[in-house]
Amino acid sequence: MTHTAPAHDAHHAPASPPPRGLRRLTAAGWIRAVWMAALFFGLGAGLVCLLRWIAGWDPIWDWGPITVVGFLTAMPLGFLSGIGAFDYWVYYALGHPSRPEDHSGHGARSWKDYFRVNTDHKVIGVQYLTTVFVFFVIGGLLAMLVRAELARPGLQVTDAQGYNGFFTVHATLMIFLFIIPAFAGLANYVVPLMLGAPDMAFPRLNALSFWLLPIGGLIFVAAFFVPGGGPNSGWTCYAPLCEHNTFGNIFFNMGVQWAGASSIMTALNFLVTIITMRAPGMTFWRMPLLVWANFTTSLLVVLATPFIAASQFFVMFDRMMGMDFFNIYEGGYVLGYQHIFWFYSHPAVYIMMLPGFGIISEVIAVMARKPVFGYRLMALSLLAILVLGFSVWAHHMFVSGMAPYLRVPMMITTLLIAVPTGIKIFSWLATLWEGRIHFTTPMLWALGFLSMFVIGGLSGVFLGAVPIDIHVSDTYFIVAHIHYVLFGGAFFTIMAGVYYWFPKMTGRMYDERLGRLHFWTTFVAFNATFFPMHLIGTQGMPRRVSDYAPEFANWNLFISISSFVLGASILIFFYNMIHSWRHGPLAPGNPWRALTLEWQVTSPPPIFNFDEIPQVVGSPYEYGVPGARHALLNGARQHELEEVPR
Amino acid sequence: MRRGVVWQLLLFTAIAAVITAVMALYPHWLPATASEQADRIGNVFWFTTIICAGIFAIVAAVLAYSLLKFRAPRDDNFETDGAPIHGHTGLEIAWTAVPFVLVTAIGIYSAIVLAQNDKVGNNPLRINVTAQQFAWSFKYPQHQDFATTTLRLPLGRTVRFHFAALDVLHSFWVPEFSQKQDTVPGIDTYLTVTPNKVGTFPIVCTELCGLGHALMRSTVVVMKQQAWQKWISSSTKQAGGGGGAGAGKAIFTEQGCGSCHTFKPAGANGKIGPDLDKLPEYAKAAGKPLDEFVHESIVDPDAYVEKGFPPNVMPKTYESLPDEQLDALVGYLTKPPEGTS
Repeated sequence: MTHTAPAHDAHHAPASPPPRGLRRLTAAGWIRAVWMAALFFGLGAGLVCLLRWIAGWDPIWDWGPITVVGFLTAMPLGFLSGIGAFDYWVYYALGHPSRPEDHSGHGARSWKDYFRVNTDHKVIGVQYLTTVFVFFVIGGLLAMLVRAELARPGLQVTDAQGYNGFFTVHATLMIFLFIIPAFAGLANYVVPLMLGAPDMAFPRLNALSFWLLPIGGLIFVAAFFVPGGGPNSGWTCYAPLCEHNTFGNIFFNMGVQWAGASSIMTALNFLVTIITMRAPGMTFWRMPLLVWANFTTSLLVVLATPFIAASQFFVMFDRMMGMDFFNIYEGGYVLGYQHIFWFYSHPAVYIMMLPGFGIISEVIAVMARKPVFGYRLMALSLLAILVLGFSVWAHHMFVSGMAPYLRVPMMITTLLIAVPTGIKIFSWLATLWEGRIHFTTPMLWALGFLSMFVIGGLSGVFLGAVPIDIHVSDTYFIVAHIHYVLFGGAFFTIMAGVYYWFPKMTGRMYDERLGRLHFWTTFVAFNATFFPMHLIGTQGMPRRVSDYAPEFANWNLFISISSFVLGASILIFFYNMIHSWRHGPLAPGNPWRALTLEWQVTSPPPIFNFDEIPQVVGSPYEYGVPGARHALLNGARQHELEEVPR
Repeated sequence: MRRGVVWQLLLFTAIAAVITAVMALYPHWLPATASEQADRIGNVFWFTTIICAGIFAIVAAVLAYSLLKFRAPRDDNFETDGAPIHGHTGLEIAWTAVPFVLVTAIGIYSAIVLAQNDKVGNNPLRINVTAQQFAWSFKYPQHQDFATTTLRLPLGRTVRFHFAALDVLHSFWVPEFSQKQDTVPGIDTYLTVTPNKVGTFPIVCTELCGLGHALMRSTVVVMKQQAWQKWISSSTKQAGGGGGAGAGKAIFTEQGCGSCHTFKPAGANGKIGPDLDKLPEYAKAAGKPLDEFVHESIVDPDAYVEKGFPPNVMPKTYESLPDEQLDALVGYLTKPPEGTS
């Protein structure tokens, strides 16, 4: 049985000519996005005024509801309509011909194609990755401001409002606009290729999910400029504080909705793609572990993300509509917020870890030239984390005042998660054993991850034990733990992935020496920044404070200086990426001689990935097994690849 | 595995264990403890540390050994592969079962300590704690409801705290006691502490509660039994009298005004809100008679906000103060400083 990719002559034909005259205003694109955003804002504001006029409320023009409806809801919808994210569905709904063979919005022929609604998963992957690094820089600069303020006791750089805004938006951007979407971007690029599929299952939905993301990010950044001050309740936005605090907190509530919607749509797309679009012969037990990781992550996202959406709507409705979910004087229940919030936000920790686990499995197997040790147990441990991950949320609430009997069961499930996580760590170690280890940049990041994540995981065991958690909860020990998990964990895996697939995405090699320099400066500065935080935390420094007791002054100064080195180290990365993307040596199709499918096509891959859908015949990790094959590809193309000089 | 490999791995593990042990023992990880609960929590901390340090040493040793021994040759450009080992059922069972046993042990020990630390005993000293932006106040219901902002506790007697929060979440923590509890609006929360060391320790709010969060501090003094008895009986006697400015001052202290405001007659030097020594100037700026202005500023803080201070910071809870207390507080704040009249 031969499977052929869909007819795709379109990418040989030139794109439709650019619209002229008045058509430029009505054709999908940035011009239409601007006027439609303005129009929708007007409609939203008008709707609010109309309703207030009918109800007889005074004043008719009230900035509160107009901001929520006009600016944070209608205007982004107008932007999305204008840029063309809904065009196809609108045509279809209006009964216009649906143009099934039109691939004009697919693939990139020039850099301009990256700035419009594009249905190619590879373009979307690159759009994701470049966007998230923009927000990463903003989030990183906010962290530098936080550390500048904490370098000395007392207030020097900013005041309490400024400081609370810095750490709130820092965490928000890093979580919702960097780690989660960076993994979505990497997986967007790689998963369809690894499955032997021509694209994602729903390319237009995929494009829409990307364009929702910068809206969320811009809302978080715009929050700083709200009169009265930005969000200042922490990224946890606990009720009732965030309901009393500055109006900027509304921007947090709404930004999470846009970023969350983006996450959910992407996850649904991954699930359908992984279930239905695997190449013939690609059974679940032949899928690369990165695909397994994104499969479990997507299940987590789909099941959990609606809960944070709900929690943020609750606090917003409390403030805007007097709904009293968390107003004790009207029968509200304050702890309800934390239960709902952590029912998402604990699984979110795994949403930020599991895709990284997948990346590490790929990188370590290829760079150690060994099959992944205990492949099936590696996949099953992901599922174990998925299931256990939903039963541990209240370990964030050991001192919250929830029913005391809940603490011991939640401690047991929390500690048990160390078992599947340990299986993964030990299996990676065993994969290195008797390998041929190549210390390339992606491998350095993977090994860095392995060592740092062990520390983050073990400090998690401390936090899981209730008595210790009671002492260190809400101290710098927590700050140290989450940075070992999310920086030493998630960020290191993102770096491993970006360096590993850089040749595939850009068709060029990065500079290996600069890559290693970047790793070592980051690795050293990271430890100097975050390891001492464990110590000042257990000794008694609480988190989220702009001022602290003088006894912690020396450590804080040391941490701040280290953090500036850490911040500067990212410049090496940006220089390497930008310079190599433009001037790096051309990359062969398979520079690592890896077996997974994305490396069996050219770098960058053809517009529909495979000339002919591959036939999968074996495991993706059979390094060292004579004669083993993962997949059979178009013979001619295979021949071409082997001729590319290394 | 060859015997040589085992010995080398053991050597690596020993080196890693020594380094880890130095990291664990050299810095003072925990503050000097001052309660029985803290001692028990410290034991759990060290029990967990030993297990985790052991695991870390093994992982670090295997990692370091692999990286040294299994490097690819320099001229090998991804041409050769490692040994095609796919798994080892015995090993996989071992590294599932052993961590399971270890974390179960940590869990059981933790549950035991938790139960011990929550034990109240039969004669606890009860203290009602009220948390609000950004101040702590304490009442001794067994001692005529005596109120104070500096907590004093007798050595060796179990204390049962009952927490109430007036506005948002706060969290009560004394690092030396190792015990911590959030205070939640609408819910009663509790905490048990048995101080076992005389001294003065900080009370820290650890739950973000607004702009003054970093400054929401107080002090706990642990005294010898006799000294404490003496203090509590003389304090309750003093508080029995009062009226007039004395009552106003007591309300000022009890409501924690001084943690945000500077007011010389009360010895308060808070910096979050406006300086109350300048109230007459503010009243002039607002164009209102002094006592009317002060009254309004307490019950409706956002009616007039002094320049340079953000609105919505001062809690709106003072509206619910009884009228005679409000009048006493206004009288206290508007009374000219002693010596000028």
